[in-house]
Amino acid sequence: MKYFFVSVFIGMLLSGCNTTPKPKDPIVKVIDSCSNNYLVINDIKGRIKDNGFMQAQVIGENLTNGYFKVKYKIVWLDENGFAIDSILSNYTTTPAYPNQPFYINLTSPNTKAKSFRFYLKKEGKTICQEQSNTL
Amino acid sequence: MSRTIKHTLSSILATLLLSGCATATQNIDMNNHKQTPAVMGLDYRDFQNVAQDMIQSLVNSGAINKQDGGRYVLVISRITNDTMQHIDTDQLVKKIRVALLRSGKVVITTAVGVNGAEDNMAMQTRRDLRGNAEFNQATVAAKGQMIAPDLSLSGKIIQRNITIDSSTQQVEYYFQMSLTDINTGLAFWEDEKVIGKLGSNDSVAW
Repeated sequence: MKYFFVSVFIGMLLSGCNTTPKPKDPIVKVIDSCSNNYLVINDIKGRIKDNGFMQAQVIGENLTNGYFKVKYKIVWLDENGFAIDSILSNYTTTPAYPNQPFYINLTSPNTKAKSFRFYLKKEGKTICQEQSNTL
Repeated sequence: MSRTIKHTLSSILATLLLSGCATATQNIDMNNHKQTPAVMGLDYRDFQNVAQDMIQSLVNSGAINKQDGGRYVLVISRITNDTMQHIDTDQLVKKIRVALLRSGKVVITTAVGVNGAEDNMAMQTRRDLRGNAEFNQATVAAKGQMIAPDLSLSGKIIQRNITIDSSTQQVEYYFQMSLTDINTGLAFWEDEKVIGKLGSNDSVAW
């Protein structure tokens, strides 16, 4: 009986050590938001659609009184965390109108995508700070 | 004698000056768009951006999802270049068809095309080798094996030049694409992307 409990305890300890490490990088990374007072991420969503493609939606907001363009890119990852090579992972732009939210709705290039990393920046700025969030 | 030396020196000086003015050749980083200035015509950045937008629109639409889970067979139809530039529309189409193929939802047929088979050798090989005693006929493609396309991808690129003032012009490029179901003739997906450029009237956009 004693041996049984010791075995179970050791088993639990070992299985605890065997968990997949969580990625250090955040799902969404805002690049170049030096003061982070002009751009904010309000929501991130991800889902696997019925057809197997993954869909991601990021809602941000332009907190300023001026119009600017937001550059973003998404890297789709397969179930093992490997990046899926695709033209859809290049930087692209979307308008951010003053004091209004903007919606970015993206679909994975194939059905292998199980997660993603999203990078966002104001057009023409340098890297300053990052903002994290979870799915 | 002194005149000869003078001429020689002048020639050397002129050569040095001319070679100094020439732009040195260098490789450019196709991923660093800041390295090369924007141009009034269409360049690789425009084709990449439009292809990316079109593919994203296409996969977002769900038009390439077959009900039974299988793959659609796609044929590339005519992509009309209605601009003043000499454009090989394959610069755009190739990116789209590669992405569609990689999606796992579409296969592209090269046996059919606007001007006959896209891959002539594939067709010619079938015809030439069939019945040829030199070849093992069991390895020759049999009749009735080719798969007919389900979908057709067509499009058009349009250019519009607008004079803003005596020194400035605006050039608009419209990229229009349609995905048609060959069986019914219905367009499953359509989209349009516009690229606008503002520049000097001296820049020629063709």
